[in-house]
Amino acid sequence: MIGSEEKKSRIKTIVRACRLIARMSKGRPEVLESHRIYYQMLADYYDRLLNAQEEGEFVAAHTIFFPVEILYAMDIVPMHTELTAWMTALFSGSYADLLSTSAEVGLAPEICSPYRVLTGALAAGCLPRPNVMLWSNLICDNSAKGGEPVMDMSGCSGFFLDCPFQQTDYENRYLKEELEDMIYFLEKQSGRKMNWDKLSDNIAQSDRQIELYRKINELRQTVPSPFPPQDFLKLFTVDCFFAGQPEATNYLETFHQELLETIRDGRGMASPERFRVMSIGMPPVLLLGAIEKVSLEYGAVSVADPFFCNWGEGRLDPQKPLDSVMKKISMHPVMVMYGPLDERLLDMLINCAKQHKIDGTINYAHVGCKQGAATIKIVKDVLNEIDVPMLILDCDIIDTTIAPEEEIREKLRQFFELLEDR
Amino acid sequence: MKALGIDVGSLTTKAVILDDDGILASSIVSSGDEAELSAKAALEQTLNQAGLSFDDNLYIISTGVGGKSISFSQQQKALTTCLARGSHYLFPSVRMTIEMGAESSTIIKVNERGRLSDWANQDKCAAGSGIFLQQMAKLMEMSLADMAQLSFKAKSKADISSTCAVFAESEVISHVHRDPPTPREEIVAGIYFSVVSRIMSLCKRVGIEKDVAVTGGVALNSGLVRILEEEIGFGVMVPDIPQIAAALGAALVARENIEKGIK
Amino acid sequence: MTDSPQTNNVELHALDRFREINNAFPKTAQILEHKSQGKQVFGWLCTYVPEEVIHAAGILPVRVTGYSQEMELEDGNAYLYINNCSFSRSCLQMGIRGEYDFLNGVVGGSTCDGARRLFDVWRYYIKTPFHHVLTVPRKYTQRAHDLYYHQVAQFKQHLEEFLGIQITDEQLCQSTEVYNEARALLKSLYDLRKLRNPPITGAETMEVLNASFRMPKELFNSYLRQLLDELAASSRSHKYRARLMVVGSVMNNPEFIKAIEAQEGLVVTDELCTSTRYWSDPVVLDSDKTPLEAISQRYLNNFPCARMVPSDERFNRVIDLARDFKVEGVISQIIRYCVPYAHDLPLLIDRLKAQGIPTLALDVEYGTSGSGQIQTRVQAFLEMLEARR
Repeated sequence: MIGSEEKKSRIKTIVRACRLIARMSKGRPEVLESHRIYYQMLADYYDRLLNAQEEGEFVAAHTIFFPVEILYAMDIVPMHTELTAWMTALFSGSYADLLSTSAEVGLAPEICSPYRVLTGALAAGCLPRPNVMLWSNLICDNSAKGGEPVMDMSGCSGFFLDCPFQQTDYENRYLKEELEDMIYFLEKQSGRKMNWDKLSDNIAQSDRQIELYRKINELRQTVPSPFPPQDFLKLFTVDCFFAGQPEATNYLETFHQELLETIRDGRGMASPERFRVMSIGMPPVLLLGAIEKVSLEYGAVSVADPFFCNWGEGRLDPQKPLDSVMKKISMHPVMVMYGPLDERLLDMLINCAKQHKIDGTINYAHVGCKQGAATIKIVKDVLNEIDVPMLILDCDIIDTTIAPEEEIREKLRQFFELLEDR
Repeated sequence: MKALGIDVGSLTTKAVILDDDGILASSIVSSGDEAELSAKAALEQTLNQAGLSFDDNLYIISTGVGGKSISFSQQQKALTTCLARGSHYLFPSVRMTIEMGAESSTIIKVNERGRLSDWANQDKCAAGSGIFLQQMAKLMEMSLADMAQLSFKAKSKADISSTCAVFAESEVISHVHRDPPTPREEIVAGIYFSVVSRIMSLCKRVGIEKDVAVTGGVALNSGLVRILEEEIGFGVMVPDIPQIAAALGAALVARENIEKGIK
Repeated sequence: MTDSPQTNNVELHALDRFREINNAFPKTAQILEHKSQGKQVFGWLCTYVPEEVIHAAGILPVRVTGYSQEMELEDGNAYLYINNCSFSRSCLQMGIRGEYDFLNGVVGGSTCDGARRLFDVWRYYIKTPFHHVLTVPRKYTQRAHDLYYHQVAQFKQHLEEFLGIQITDEQLCQSTEVYNEARALLKSLYDLRKLRNPPITGAETMEVLNASFRMPKELFNSYLRQLLDELAASSRSHKYRARLMVVGSVMNNPEFIKAIEAQEGLVVTDELCTSTRYWSDPVVLDSDKTPLEAISQRYLNNFPCARMVPSDERFNRVIDLARDFKVEGVISQIIRYCVPYAHDLPLLIDRLKAQGIPTLALDVEYGTSGSGQIQTRVQAFLEMLEARR
């Protein structure tokens, strides 16, 4: 059983850890300023969440790839459910107790682990109770079913954003009307009005942010790559938590400058850079450090994370905020995985492999991601046609008992030896 | 300098020494608790056979489960890399090798230059391995060789559906104690078939491509190999001493390193 | 399949004919004959695919199902990976191995991850000439209905282009009548199971259901009418200790239900994609809607899948079924990696508990016959139900 002090401390742990990292980064020239900004932002996010109830704020819990620009424009405090589960595991290092609580509640172990950690955390009272739950089927069945248990356990109401499967005009209209309904729902529940000007501002920021994501991604095409491999997670979480917010733009611009300087100085992440790796799938977040270490032993660097970093074509128009929200959803890197599996995904991967000059691909086959796993053979066959070998690493995004560190290291070594041998 | 490869497996340790004409000597010893000692024993036996002694003129590559723990090897290489080299040397036409060891099976794909192009492991489940077959032999109170011989007599296979070694064992027991009992040759065929099924699953993950070689201790089991050939749909190549394929590959890597001047 | 030792029930001839078709599927005599006449056969993947539209186009619709038992799924694992449900892997393997090579088309819906990826991988590797996937919304709002109708209309258009024909309203009406008759007949069959002494078991019903989506509907209807006549004329009865309901997603193997009924737990009703979710609601044709509108409305409103929001729509109907059939206990059989149903399970168990109905939750693989462990747990469950009385 989880003690009551511990219950409150999960979020506090995240805040404390982030503040500590931010503080320690200050004035250390070898640590990037963007690093410090990121952790400060995270600390502030969770701090706001911790104090929300006291401050009389309105908290909306939401699932992944949700348009938070809308929430910020209504001065609603967002709580990202899946990522908070990740962060809880990442910063407190403990998640096993939450997984076992979710098993007690009756959730099957085959359900994607972030959702089990989330349910376990809610059941154990480790997370703040939201005022409202927003969820969507964006990306998979797990997120589509993630809402009602939260509503049940928190005793709050909720709204399901039904995202259509394909992107025809009719379906886009449907999505827009769903978004309008959601705004209406939030206004009623929170007593706050949508500030359309603020939403336009947020959209303008998001537009700039996407431009920066693209620029940063382009810089990763440089040989040697200037980009710290693990930072793809920062880019991803920045969009999930802070999309449309000026802090995010500030972070990205700082990071972008740092990368330019690294390139100017002729530095790279690996010296010498022998193998350029494309990473796809959902990696075990607690083992990212170990993975980077083994890779560096062979001079291998992850230079592309297409499903987290490759934004689709297009611009956002602040004058048409809801249309822009929809456009952004369709441009999101992961959205190629959502619709019917076709040339869009395969062409994207081939282009990415060519542009980033990839020597090999690592596919993190997270056991909870069924819809991703179904693409493994197709992707492997397609990459084989351009002579890029692919390693399939069975793992779990949070639970390291599924594939322990030693097993992952061994498989990585075998793969890098294969690349050496070619 | 002489090129030498050592494969430290969970049940046996193999060593191979090469000269200009090919394999000079090889040996297989039981793996003890300490990889270092097992490797030393295999090394000594091989050197004796070759009429050599442990001196500075040996370049040693170690591989296998215990390959990392050998203090006297120059380098350690993954089993997959060594298997690719070894298979290609033995059978240049081979494009897929199935290595069936004591604790796990590994499938590798080899390209026409003898380089590893893909692989798949079975490491979480014991039901496709030599130790599993040994346990079954004990259950049936037969030697491995007798079991293999018996399997040729089977006209059909007993159904052993479990994907888990533990449950497979209880299914075998129930076949033995059934009334009337399932004919023993059918039980054996059923056991082999369930091992082969798991191998086939792995093979399909990487894509079956001719020619196919089978290595590792279990390759000596002619009964199982026959059932594998039935399932795969064509004949497979088995080297004379299938256990040493990876050690041979390690020795080949050693030879390459000598030629390239790599310390 | 033999009857349970406790009864001396007569064999049902109509049931034998269904069995024959199930045993021969997918290459049944009817399908092969249909093809030899130059006609087409389409496979469909989910209860949200409007069969009447396919039927109205003169095509024989058959449901894509997997092997009739739990199998080693090497090809399925290689193509769909081990963490997709064994149903999708089983279906795909049959497809890869050519068992569905007679299909001219395959139609799916964006219903769940397993189904949509089955469709994607099938389309990529098995070159069935026609393929179509419908977007299926997850809500019941008017807007969702409009979207689904639009999808059905697009599907109809795609079919028409492919075949070079026009599908008329009259043809849609005729097909609807045939399908509605099947639904009405199945309802009559299920009504018999409401009785205190049902003449037909759950396992036998499963055999009828399996045949229902594997043969021309017209022929099915005539066989089912015969079966209902036979049942009316018979005095079949089954001894039982408790009235049970089986719930879950896809299930096709009657052996599983038989294993439960061998313990004298009579399965009097079920909530499965292959049973009530398939046939429950009729298409309501009336003058203020076109036949296509009526069809599309029925399919979206039909007995809910766990993917639909709010989940209570499904839970309420499950509870209604349990009440109508005087169910004492529910057996949930969820295929490993069936995500929507797994998420629903704790909530469903709570709702049923509130109605005084306990649930036995079983993890299964598609095609399981219910051996050893399952039988032990069912026995314990039945003893518990008896003790509560």
